[in-house]
Amino acid sequence: MEIDLDGIVIIVGNYGSGKTEISINLAVNRKRAGLEVRIADLDLVNPYFRTREAKARLAELGIEVVVPPNQYMQADLPILSPVVAGMIRQPSQLTLLDTGGNGVGANVLAALGDALSGRKIHVLQVINPFRPFTETVGGCLKIRDEIERASRLSVSGIIGNANLIDETTVEDIYTGYDFVSGLSMESRLPLKFVTVAAELMPEIDIKHFTCPVLLIERQLVPPWKRSFSLASKTE
Amino acid sequence: MGKILMKGNEAMGEAAIRAGCLNYFAYPITPQSEVAEYLSRRMPEVGGVFLQGESEVAVSYMLFGASACGARVFTTSSSPGISLMSEGISYIAGAQCPAVFVNIMRGGPGLGGILPSQADYFQATKGGGHGDYRLLVMAPASVQEAVEMVMLAFPLAEKYRNPVMLLGDGLIGQMMEPVEFPDHLKSEPTNKDEWATNGMDTRGSDKRNLVKTLFLNAGKLNEHNLMLKAKYDRMKREEIRYELYNIESDYKTLIVSYGTMSRVCKTAIDNMKNEGLEVGMVRPQTLFPFPENAVYEAASKESCKIVVSIEMSMGQMVEDVERCVKGKLPVKWYGKCGGDVPTPEEVVEAVKSFL
Repeated sequence: MEIDLDGIVIIVGNYGSGKTEISINLAVNRKRAGLEVRIADLDLVNPYFRTREAKARLAELGIEVVVPPNQYMQADLPILSPVVAGMIRQPSQLTLLDTGGNGVGANVLAALGDALSGRKIHVLQVINPFRPFTETVGGCLKIRDEIERASRLSVSGIIGNANLIDETTVEDIYTGYDFVSGLSMESRLPLKFVTVAAELMPEIDIKHFTCPVLLIERQLVPPWKRSFSLASKTE
Repeated sequence: MGKILMKGNEAMGEAAIRAGCLNYFAYPITPQSEVAEYLSRRMPEVGGVFLQGESEVAVSYMLFGASACGARVFTTSSSPGISLMSEGISYIAGAQCPAVFVNIMRGGPGLGGILPSQADYFQATKGGGHGDYRLLVMAPASVQEAVEMVMLAFPLAEKYRNPVMLLGDGLIGQMMEPVEFPDHLKSEPTNKDEWATNGMDTRGSDKRNLVKTLFLNAGKLNEHNLMLKAKYDRMKREEIRYELYNIESDYKTLIVSYGTMSRVCKTAIDNMKNEGLEVGMVRPQTLFPFPENAVYEAASKESCKIVVSIEMSMGQMVEDVERCVKGKLPVKWYGKCGGDVPTPEEVVEAVKSFL
């Protein structure tokens, strides 16, 4: 099953739910499918592990990453480049907006309200049930409400991102899938896709899922680990 | 309860609650603010208190006051904030009140930057504030270890009636790893009746407890300092913690490294092993008391020719390493301090350059 997302896709979710890792990998996935892709790093609240860290690797694949001006790249200042509104007004085949965590991270979307107004957008909430505050359906819905209030947008779908990074088991993936399926029923929001890390994929029975699967080739790693090479798989 | 995925900052906040600490005073600063964010939500759920001070100076005295009353207290901050708290830390140590401080270090001096650093080693281990006091300083290298050290910090602070500091760099605060929490260990300070100003009636005692740091009489102040020194000497006997890595090999080079820097070194050591180059490592888990004998013994191994202190500072821990090696071998330093954590490749290159 293919992930058939295009247009303007906004990735939201609670802190550490995996928004940035998903944004990067979704950008790569769609680029490999032949779409023209641009991605904007709108994380104005967290200074570490942001999309901007993968900018060079994505650029090599022909994916443009919109980030704050160079001298502010490592600041924790709320800088929203005017280029972002421009890229919404003239969207690529896929325009990805990677926001910061929780309601506070989604605030930036309200500032883009004029640009987003009247456009068809996907607002997808990333859920990792192994993270604090989203281990229950109620917790996920509370985060959703906070994000909707702050962004003045409605969440339109769910991304299941169950993982414990290196310690994720096949069982965790299936448990996480069951959880987001339940959340999807409860919230009546479609489950757009779930994620599986590249190293676990060989052990996963893809028929277990009724939604598409996004392969995660981990890019945001601490300095003692190696990120997956994206470039080697483009051809 | 199974494992969950947490940022170091969140996990340390949760660990404090699990350790029975329900009093958290703090002021936000990158890269530590998630502790405050997390606890502003969690503390009310467990009937605890999170009070944001008007400054870090104020926070340090909130800790002092609450601790003097017998409450378990802690705070978290990052480098410039710890500088502001240093006056209060000196008073808390002088008054012998237990308190737990977490420093998620960023680059300095001054405002510096917001990326990871280990440049507050001197401040933590040699005294940021005035007077003859010591902090018991622990340095976690993983999120799980940060949880365990926070939970250990409270009983140690009470055992010694002294501030305990966790010294982590920005990465420890910001990165996510799976963690597991031990069962709920909510408890009150066990020895608080010996020192807390919680009321003679409350503790059914006829002895008054007085919390003070002023000793105008020279003899009394000297006695007070000797008593404090005896505590720090006891820490040196009873609280040294460290990890050895690849120490059974016939290493030519011994690395001393702590915190997340030591994890980069482990990867570098594994890579060098694959090339046929053996390197050992001592990772201090307590920075004060420093694992003096462990470093000396590891450096005394026949095969060992050189010792390298690898740290995200311009050479601070290296002075303790030199002290421990006692001139037996040359001691070198390698490090970076702008926020770019050295890569395993850079560590390999540095180690080879000293051979």
